[in-house]
Amino acid sequence: MRATKKVIPHIFLMGYLLVILYPFLFVIFSSLKTNNQDIASNPFGLPSSITFDNYVNAWVNAKISVYFFNSLYIGILAACVSILFAAMLSFAVTRMRYNKISAIVFQLILLGMLIPNNSLLLPIYGIMSKLGILDTHMALLLPYIANAIPFSVIILAAFMRSLPGEIEEAAVMDGLSSAGLFVRIIVPLTIPAIVTVFIINFLGNWNEFLLANYFLSNDALRTLPVGMVGFRDAYNTNYAQMSAGIVFSVLPVMIIYAILQEQIIEGVTAGSVKG
Amino acid sequence: MKKSVTMLLSLFFVASTLLAGCGSSNDKNTANEGNTAANNKPANEAKVSDEPFEITIRHTQIGEAKKFRLAILDDVVKKTQEAVPGLTIKLDGVDSEVNRKEKLRGEMAAGKPPEVFDVFGSPDAELYAKEGLMLDLTPILDELGIKDKFSDLGPFTHDGKIYGLPIGGSIEGIFYNKEYFEQKGLTVPKTLDELEAIAEKVKADGKIPFAQASKDAWIPLMTTNNLWSYYAGADITYGFKSGETKWTDENMVKAIAKHQEWVQKGYFKKGELGFEYADMRNQVITGEAIMMMDGSWANSVFRDPAQAGEMVGKIGYFNMPPLKEGDPFVVMQDSNNGYGFSSAVGEDPRKLEAVKEFIKNMWTDEMQLRGLKEDGVLPAMKMDLEQMKTASDDPLMQDIFKAVSEIGNAFPAFDALVQAEVNTALGMGIQQIIGGEIEPQKMLENVQAAQDAANAASE
Amino acid sequence: MNKALRNPVVYVLFILPAFILFLAFFIYPVFTAINNSFTSWNGISKTVNYIGFDNYVQAFNDDAFWKSVRNNVYFILFSCLIQVPLIIIFSLLIANVKKFKGLYKTAVFMPSIMSTAVIGILWGFIYNPDFGLANEVLGLFGVSPIYWLSDKNWAMISILITNAWQWTGFYIVMVLAAILSIPKELDEAAAIDGATGVQRAMKITLPLIMPIVSVVIMLSIAGAMKAADIVLVMTKGGPAGSTDVMATYMIRYAITSFRHGFGNAIAVLIFVFTIIITVLYQVLIAKRTERIEY
Repeated sequence: MRATKKVIPHIFLMGYLLVILYPFLFVIFSSLKTNNQDIASNPFGLPSSITFDNYVNAWVNAKISVYFFNSLYIGILAACVSILFAAMLSFAVTRMRYNKISAIVFQLILLGMLIPNNSLLLPIYGIMSKLGILDTHMALLLPYIANAIPFSVIILAAFMRSLPGEIEEAAVMDGLSSAGLFVRIIVPLTIPAIVTVFIINFLGNWNEFLLANYFLSNDALRTLPVGMVGFRDAYNTNYAQMSAGIVFSVLPVMIIYAILQEQIIEGVTAGSVKG
Repeated sequence: MKKSVTMLLSLFFVASTLLAGCGSSNDKNTANEGNTAANNKPANEAKVSDEPFEITIRHTQIGEAKKFRLAILDDVVKKTQEAVPGLTIKLDGVDSEVNRKEKLRGEMAAGKPPEVFDVFGSPDAELYAKEGLMLDLTPILDELGIKDKFSDLGPFTHDGKIYGLPIGGSIEGIFYNKEYFEQKGLTVPKTLDELEAIAEKVKADGKIPFAQASKDAWIPLMTTNNLWSYYAGADITYGFKSGETKWTDENMVKAIAKHQEWVQKGYFKKGELGFEYADMRNQVITGEAIMMMDGSWANSVFRDPAQAGEMVGKIGYFNMPPLKEGDPFVVMQDSNNGYGFSSAVGEDPRKLEAVKEFIKNMWTDEMQLRGLKEDGVLPAMKMDLEQMKTASDDPLMQDIFKAVSEIGNAFPAFDALVQAEVNTALGMGIQQIIGGEIEPQKMLENVQAAQDAANAASE
Repeated sequence: MNKALRNPVVYVLFILPAFILFLAFFIYPVFTAINNSFTSWNGISKTVNYIGFDNYVQAFNDDAFWKSVRNNVYFILFSCLIQVPLIIIFSLLIANVKKFKGLYKTAVFMPSIMSTAVIGILWGFIYNPDFGLANEVLGLFGVSPIYWLSDKNWAMISILITNAWQWTGFYIVMVLAAILSIPKELDEAAAIDGATGVQRAMKITLPLIMPIVSVVIMLSIAGAMKAADIVLVMTKGGPAGSTDVMATYMIRYAITSFRHGFGNAIAVLIFVFTIIITVLYQVLIAKRTERIEY
């Protein structure tokens, strides 16, 4: 009786795992098959003869490595810069003694959380065009940095507010200026929240499709989501080859995730739950 | 105080180098890309003292079905690069529908199209030209002496000036499985009723009469457009924009009802609203479907063993037949798709030179013939039918030439004659008809409402 | 002390970078959008005509617009009524098993790290009517093929399932962390008092994790209002606009039809609706859950 009780949760959880993981397996199997008929006749298992042609073709036809690194560096850089700016603002607003202005600034930024940024696609397009940076990576970096600011400020400010005031009093006694206080004391203490914000911002940038689709034309600048959709549009009937493309686009992320999974999962929660 | 300012300055310094760094690394990326692209080209550029410069060509020749077109473009690019010192041409391929409806429109809104781009003549190029976004090609064509060589530059002409050049011409009609027709004793239909009788037999045989993929609405609309041109007359389409004719005309209702009837009788594959363009060619190639309404450009797929496999040589082509035997064939025929050039090119003499060279290499009798032979694209430049017929002895091409010679009344595709927002409404409408959500009368009322709004806005 | 923390130069310099970006990318665009929404601008022309509230009137009279609003509502309802309970149940299950806890946690999170676009492509493949995984599996149970993305009755639900597949794990991890941070003693004391696992979950754990669940709901609503990528990639809003959400409706009409002015009116409506929903949620629900907590 007790044993069965223990097993029941595992049955549900394993079922859920299957739902999560099987699509990946399906894609891997399909990528090793020669054509659509092959997939249709034997959808679940491995093919009788394995072919790697699809991988070769997908690699040549879709410049996945280019897309991947574009996405990676834009995602990381934008996340870092927005955290820096958001942390500076949060510090000024929560720790420096200008309470009235701070309250106004903070409320205004909170308002930003309510504005769904993709509805601003058209006006932002206009700004980018006026700045003359359409079709460069700056056209993504600037809006990505800006879009992440309200959320980052909310989390970081909440976290900084919870830090005890004695810490900085001691530091100021030691002769630290406010900027020094920020760099040496506050930022190190805020690391858990920063990691959380970084991961969430990075995932947002990494996923972003709408702006990347409209603001960049040059194939060499494309990010992974846009590049993969272009690849799909061009080779949309060859499912075996498309599967190989999907595997390529997913694999690096999987590897990074496998290595960093503990940090990522702890990171998602550390700052937000405590803060 | 001092300390904090230094600290801040250094912070800003870090931030700005980060940003600047990404800006410059980005430039480096493009430069590298340009170089590798150039190196990949079989012919290396001649060493010249001129400063290197680039132009980008936005084309839509992506995917297996368009490889022959891409090969022709590649050759023209190569020739142009050799002829213009310092020039690197970057090719940027985007799906045709995405380019036309989203990408190029967005870029035009921002005033920043690529130097050379795939564009539809009417209404797109006209609108862009009106806003001064496209390069006036008239002087270049005069200089090259090719202005009078095109069969029809109408869609690309605005206020007497030419803003783009069609890459090829096309007609729309029905591809069919000849082998199947022979086996079942079917013959090319002479009337719409006969066509329906064939469809009925095919269906009874357990096959799909017409391959169709309607995720993008322009595909089923080829059939609809041809049907309404028979029922309501091809001229009706010209009157929508001026308000002389109405979408809700009773003959238009009949035409849409006919399309709806075909859907309801199961003449198309179930789930067509989810299929992409390439899927419908596959339906024909696998033998699942027997006929397919498509543009003549699709012939290249059926002539290529790599794509059509055993179907090569087994596909024929005929025009959609008229309502009554002996009536003239009414067929969509146009040359509305081609290349346009950014007006920004005019401000840079070297880019202008490059564009001129590109035009010189692209629009020659040789290239048009090659397009016809290798890719089955009907020429956009004047060429008599006899010369075409000798150019390709492929039976499918011969079918298409025959279809061209049979045309009694040619009409341009509806999307060249109505505003973009009407096209959107019509696309929505036909998908609703296919999805069984709406009746023809109501659908056409919706389209007419969009037409009225568009007409009012343009006044 | 005061001197160091009351330095106007530093204060301004610290606030400026983020604030300028915020003004440039939130406040300024909102005003441009509002301004453009009163015009018939085609997005290209240099002349702009003001036409008052015509764009709004037209949007309100357009069935297709309301259909797109309804689809946003479906997104919200699906997340709140189906996803959130699942998130809570699976979090509780994972929190209470001893074996494989790490495995479950790692695996459920995985879909969230992949690009939405790639997920859209992958699921488009799964939904293929002829040989996609979904129909193959259902076929084993004798279900006849479903035209997932081309049947208007199924297309929206297909997108919602894909969206849930991607994000459920992300929220599970958040909720799980909250559950694990609850002091063990509470649970153990209840167990000694003879409370069953289910009772303990309902009476002790659930009330304690309400704040984080509330955060999850807020994030889901925000995500639902923003959803556009997944729709664009999977169906482009089709068939016949049946999966259009407000953002894709905006794109269809603003860019594809050269109606920038109208598109901007839709943009304004999107954030007006978002503000209304958020405020409603805050006033009606969030406040109440807090009260329960105390």
